[in-house]
Amino acid sequence: MFSLFEESGFKRVKSAVVPRFRFRQQSTQNSAEAFGVKSVMMTASKP
Amino acid sequence: MTNAADAQASLEAVLKDEIIRMYEEVAEDPTAEFHFYHGRQAAELFGYDPDWLDRAPEGAVSSFAGVGNPHERAELEPGETVLDLGSGAGLDSIIASWGVGPTGNVIGVDLNPTMCLKAQANAAATGTTMECHEGRMEDIPLPDDSVDVVISNGVINLSFRKRRVVEEMFRVLQPGGRISITDIVSGKQLTQSIVNDPKLWAS
Repeated sequence: MFSLFEESGFKRVKSAVVPRFRFRQQSTQNSAEAFGVKSVMMTASKP
Repeated sequence: MTNAADAQASLEAVLKDEIIRMYEEVAEDPTAEFHFYHGRQAAELFGYDPDWLDRAPEGAVSSFAGVGNPHERAELEPGETVLDLGSGAGLDSIIASWGVGPTGNVIGVDLNPTMCLKAQANAAATGTTMECHEGRMEDIPLPDDSVDVVISNGVINLSFRKRRVVEEMFRVLQPGGRISITDIVSGKQLTQSIVNDPKLWAS
């Protein structure tokens, strides 16, 4: 997703993982981790 | 259209229905258990100010289904115009309206017209106003260069056309405008069985 913002013209694109995000059900959380699923915060600006 | 384009259009139509169904379910039965955290528990987990959650209508708080806290770095200023993309029951819009104050403007866009009505009613209950437009994030129903800030919380991942969504956010932002969003990303390519399953995709 980071690259989508840069390629669309956004500048100063920054991202950080949302540390406390997790799924309620452990089985879903395990599957999410297997696919590298995480929540991120992104900021960017339009020149 | 090609067969592939037909298939994607068909899947998108099914997905739209599934997204509407799932998030209406959260709004109508917030005590039900979903595989994601929602409501006040989720908002507190992501660091929402408890004062915000006390001030906002219960219906907005209990229906919250975000994946982070886009307000943390939004740095809203009085008088700014904010677009809340995928505004749901309106909690993030209401918090944004407090940030931009009475001289500012908050515009919600949501796939579901029922959720737009809920969001506007919830905002009115706090003494603030927001306008909400039914629409798709791939075709944001706003003019070019019309907003200062786009916030969004856990909805872009629901789109099959994420590049288009990002281009639309860029289009509606004024030069110098900014985004502050939280969303789900995947570090690996999802399997076709997940991509083709609207229930999994919508969640």
